[in-house]
Amino acid sequence: MAASTLSRGTLSRGTLSRVARHVVLAVFVLLMIYPLLWMLVSSFKPSNLILSQTGLFPSEITLENYGDGWDALGSPFTLFLGNSLLIGVGSVIGNLFSCSLTAYALARLNFRAGKLYLALTLMTIMLPFHVLVIPQYILFAELGWINTYVPLLLPKFLATDAVFIFLMVQFIRALPRELDQAAMIDGAGPFRIFWSVILPLMQPALITTTIFTFIWTWNDYFGPLLYLTRTELYTVPVALKSLVDTETQSGIGTMFAMSLVSLVPILLFFIFAQRYIIKGIATTGIK
Amino acid sequence: MSDLTRRSFLTWTGVGALSVAAMSLAGCGPSASGGDGSLRFAWWGGSDRQRAYLEALDAFTAEHPEIQVAPEFGDYDAYQERMTTQMAARDVPDVFWIPSPAVLTYREAGLYRDLEGAPGLDLSAFTEEQVESFRLAGTLDTLPKSIFSPVLRYNTNFLEDEGVTLPDQLDWDNLAEFLVDYSANNADGRKGTAYGPYHDMPFESFLRQRGEDLWTEDGTLGASVDGVAAWIDWWEKLRRAGATTSVSEQDGIEPAWSQVGDKVLVTFANSNHIVDDAQAFPDYVFDQRDVPAAEDAAAGYHFTYYSRFAMYSGVPDDRVEAAATLMSFNLNSPELLSLVGLSAGAPPNTELLDQYEPDATPDEQKVIAITREINETEQRPRFEAPAGSGSWRDLMIRELEEVTLGEKTVPDAAASFVEAVEGEIAGA
Amino acid sequence: MTLTSKDTGRRVRGAPGAAGSKPPGGRAKPSGGTRGQGLVAHIFLLPWMIGMIGVTAGPLIASAVLAFTDYDLLSPPQFIGLDNFVRMAGDERFWAAVRVTLVYVLVSVPLQLGFALFLAVVLDKGLRGLSLYRSAFYLPSLLGGSVAIAILWRQIFGENGLVNHVLGWFGIELGSWLQDPSLALSTLVVLNVWTFGSPMVIFLAGLRQIPEELYEASMIDGAGRVRRFVSITIPLLTPIIFLNLILQMISAFQAFTQAHVVSGGSGGPLDSTLFYTLYIYQRGFVNFDMGYASAMAWVLLLVIAAATAANFIVSRRWVYYGDE
Repeated sequence: MAASTLSRGTLSRGTLSRVARHVVLAVFVLLMIYPLLWMLVSSFKPSNLILSQTGLFPSEITLENYGDGWDALGSPFTLFLGNSLLIGVGSVIGNLFSCSLTAYALARLNFRAGKLYLALTLMTIMLPFHVLVIPQYILFAELGWINTYVPLLLPKFLATDAVFIFLMVQFIRALPRELDQAAMIDGAGPFRIFWSVILPLMQPALITTTIFTFIWTWNDYFGPLLYLTRTELYTVPVALKSLVDTETQSGIGTMFAMSLVSLVPILLFFIFAQRYIIKGIATTGIK
Repeated sequence: MSDLTRRSFLTWTGVGALSVAAMSLAGCGPSASGGDGSLRFAWWGGSDRQRAYLEALDAFTAEHPEIQVAPEFGDYDAYQERMTTQMAARDVPDVFWIPSPAVLTYREAGLYRDLEGAPGLDLSAFTEEQVESFRLAGTLDTLPKSIFSPVLRYNTNFLEDEGVTLPDQLDWDNLAEFLVDYSANNADGRKGTAYGPYHDMPFESFLRQRGEDLWTEDGTLGASVDGVAAWIDWWEKLRRAGATTSVSEQDGIEPAWSQVGDKVLVTFANSNHIVDDAQAFPDYVFDQRDVPAAEDAAAGYHFTYYSRFAMYSGVPDDRVEAAATLMSFNLNSPELLSLVGLSAGAPPNTELLDQYEPDATPDEQKVIAITREINETEQRPRFEAPAGSGSWRDLMIRELEEVTLGEKTVPDAAASFVEAVEGEIAGA
Repeated sequence: MTLTSKDTGRRVRGAPGAAGSKPPGGRAKPSGGTRGQGLVAHIFLLPWMIGMIGVTAGPLIASAVLAFTDYDLLSPPQFIGLDNFVRMAGDERFWAAVRVTLVYVLVSVPLQLGFALFLAVVLDKGLRGLSLYRSAFYLPSLLGGSVAIAILWRQIFGENGLVNHVLGWFGIELGSWLQDPSLALSTLVVLNVWTFGSPMVIFLAGLRQIPEELYEASMIDGAGRVRRFVSITIPLLTPIIFLNLILQMISAFQAFTQAHVVSGGSGGPLDSTLFYTLYIYQRGFVNFDMGYASAMAWVLLLVIAAATAANFIVSRRWVYYGDE
């Protein structure tokens, strides 16, 4: 009997602590996403009430922001979502391909210039984008690539996103060398080792790269603004910015509505992708 | 497919690389740089204006099937960022709107094509005198796409609520007095006006009434330290008397209309703004009138601001006629006007305005009325902002921050504003 | 063959689990092809090299050259030697930007990383619905530098915003945070901490690379939760902590979008949110002063490079790699 009381006691204490953790987390989540909740509520208010009636409980509810926003730029919003999706997926593929090759060479292969290359790579993320964009634009304009996706996608296949090279280098360096050596003893060359040992092991890094590449390109504004001048090629952020008139501040409601709509695909993407991070190496093991 | 296997990685990478390559090569069409012979036309605004112009351009193409137009559109900030980049790369749209602080900057950079006698350009609706007023230093290299003037806009419902009317003869002193009174006595805790010395157009009118120019003919700052100080002072007295919304309340020196529109009785604005701004507050009726003027105001202080557009100097000769035809369409087409309305200003073509009047909305009627009233006035010439002065409004806002936060006295702020603007112009 | 991480025997100083699974002897450095890997490496590096030469290097060199010129974007650049750098020394706004940026880096990076690490550990495992929480915490980061942020932030930190509302309960009356030079920067620090999702995800991924066996071994040794965190999690996570530190530091030095959006591009009030890159943008894109902007950019690069190098040097004392 004493034992059962004890076990019941632990049980309820365990449940209690779990409930407490949930409560704390939930409160915290609410605090974090309050601005988004406000935005969600506002998107259902008539446009002219958003800034004058700022409470969370609107006196009037309407779907007009969604309807208006959907067609506001003369094309259905799905067009922009599609464009962003295309660029996002293309960029993910490009970065996974080019950055993993580069990172492997920089992290694992011994050659004299390795350190220099890594330093060079890091240097390229230290220079602010705004002084690079004009020479870059001139380059791509000369090549006749304005109003194509090439200026946005090609660089991704050429390992120009140095952040991800560095990220992968750090993850590879955290992997034990003995793995390579074991494979090497089995007679595997660098390509085999990269392919069969490193790549499967760096899955968390690959997923992380996938998530960030997708979300960052999805949110990228300046590049698409410059390189895609035709409305039918617009990406989501450029379209969103076009909804609000800077001079008159009109269009806030439709911008909120479409911002939320465009959050849905990347949120779904994140929910989907993060599960793979969590599975990670611990459960998949090394085959 | 529980994890990213090597095979799926390979497959996806391969498929991706191929499809991207294919897409880049085939799917995305020709470049914007006139590669396909279409005419690039660039403008700015919100989504309503974009749609209106897209429709108008369709009408244009229907009228001129031989001319294809490639629209390039962005909100005001995005437009300028893109334009700056395109300029540096000499990859500029064929016909483009000119942001007001950049008129002479672009000109100095040689972006404009001389339009004198350009084939396809139809200026028959304008008098010789008008055309002369379009010229910059004697050259016809830009044209006004629309015009507007500074006005004092007021909320008619708020006036009725209190049973008061604005003085018939409005000068700066009696307006200030009226606004202080209103703020102190109205039942709803409203303010006379939003804190607004950042506003460029009434500032220019204020200066002209003192006999000064904002910009001089030879490209310098015309405003004196005293003139700037007098302007800021007028506003500071109002603010300290509690007749304006505070900077904190309106969240910045330059408030969003949607945030202050239902809290104040009057606002300084451009004559065209009423069209969009009134829509933000459908419960109220707004009206507008000429800005206040001292009795001893200098003659010809009234002015009409030309919002300009131009043809890129790099347009090849065989495309000039098409570009000029598009410009003429912007100047003269009743169809375009009926689509875009007056939200970006009244058309400089007065015949067109008369023709449009019956279809105008009630708020647009108010734009038309004031435009006509100001057309009748005597106007001495006004000069555009010189190259390098592009950020003068930011400089003004910074000094106003100093003043309102109590960091600087009004004369000091005025002096450093003048010094900073002159410094930027000299550095350009 | 199933090679679990236990067999790999990481060398983890101070990790009790590591002691239980000894590395397979002090095996020498890989003998094969230390020399000969140069060629192989360059094959792997082919895309990177093409990108470096074809895409990255040109603009990089161009901006370096422009740093020594007077370039207004419209007429050809004029060589002016070191004038741009001399001008910086006497430019009050430049120094304001330096101050703002340094404060921001020093305050917001540790805060954001601490936050991200804490939540990554909390959200790592052991509770139902964690994936839901993770996604909710990541939501703000998805919004990025969206135009909506400007309006949201006014809603929260404006005169009648949420924060002042709450402070009002305690009798504290404040004006708009965004218009107060002593408070405006803190709202941007909050914004940065609010979007802690990216480092959190990286931490989560890093936590997943820590072999479960180490924890199991240490539990057998009777180590408590805190002990396990301090002696296993933290040491094994150091490469990832270091990675996050470097990435967040670099991005804090270059913080632009959020300040641009929240202050409407002005960096106000009174330059209190004038981030370094925002000033670069103003000089380059608003004042057409690209020579000066480029010079400023290269100064920033040198500062970031120095800070990164210092971090790399210090990292030898606290970062443990599996390949050492």
